[in-house]
Amino acid sequence: MKWATRAGCHVDRAACAWLIRRWLDPEAQFIFVDDPADVPQDATPFDMRGAALSHREGRCSFETFLVHYELADPVLAEVGRIVHEADLADERYDAPEAPGLDALIRGLALVRGDPEVLAITGSLFDGLYELLRQRPSPPELSMSP
Amino acid sequence: MQAAQRWVLLAYRLPREPSTPRIALWRRLRQLGAVQLLDGLVGLPLDAHTREQLEWLAEGIQEAGGGATIWLAEPAGRGHGDALVDEVRTDRSAEFRAVAAAAERAWEEAPMTRRRTLARLRRELRRIRARDYFGAPGRAEAEAAVEALAAAIEVDA
Repeated sequence: MKWATRAGCHVDRAACAWLIRRWLDPEAQFIFVDDPADVPQDATPFDMRGAALSHREGRCSFETFLVHYELADPVLAEVGRIVHEADLADERYDAPEAPGLDALIRGLALVRGDPEVLAITGSLFDGLYELLRQRPSPPELSMSP
Repeated sequence: MQAAQRWVLLAYRLPREPSTPRIALWRRLRQLGAVQLLDGLVGLPLDAHTREQLEWLAEGIQEAGGGATIWLAEPAGRGHGDALVDEVRTDRSAEFRAVAAAAERAWEEAPMTRRRTLARLRRELRRIRARDYFGAPGRAEAEAAVEALAAAIEVDA
């Protein structure tokens, strides 16, 4: 499938592209456009004004993907909270990883083009996912006294 | 001559009720350090990030039943632009001074409280720096005051 987004990828688009490749469409082809009107007919737009897969009701685009495709993996939800704070920094979540992730990807985008940014951040998100997956999870909240 | 500072403007109207979307919008605009030009017209210095943030806010306003448009603008007269830049710098300076004053007051606090104050002030500084678009005066002083507090805590420990 073809997927279209705005050129000049930052954390939210990079995270969406990783999610698409790894969880939805391993053969995904990405097209970068400057204006929503330039999205080809056969491509699915994301993280753009007017697209369904975009910022919605206070969520970043990555979180919208999780809702839209019903990806209920709690590790992906945690990645979503980090991406949200790296993108919006509105302090809806406590995500200490977010400012670092924001700095790394913002800097990367200064020295590399979009395809390379997506390739490198793909590995970064693979690693972040694995780190969070291996993190010991807290025991379930106990209801007994 | 230096090129005029360009701005991204959000023109919006939002129903008075329900108030939740209005409050969320105001809170977000304050986080971003937006300046109010008129009732329903706010602006930020133009870059890819500020433009994108205002575009998302515009979408949110439409979702909430309001109307919003985004404009890229430059002041026709240098004076207008300078006044706007000054306003942003003045607002940030006041915020930096408040942090510096709080850091100085924290010397009076008990060690445990002081530690919490330090963490809070560092977070606050990070928020202000993110919206300090024109290098407002007072930043270095605020950073020095907070780091002096941190050094004092290390000596105590």
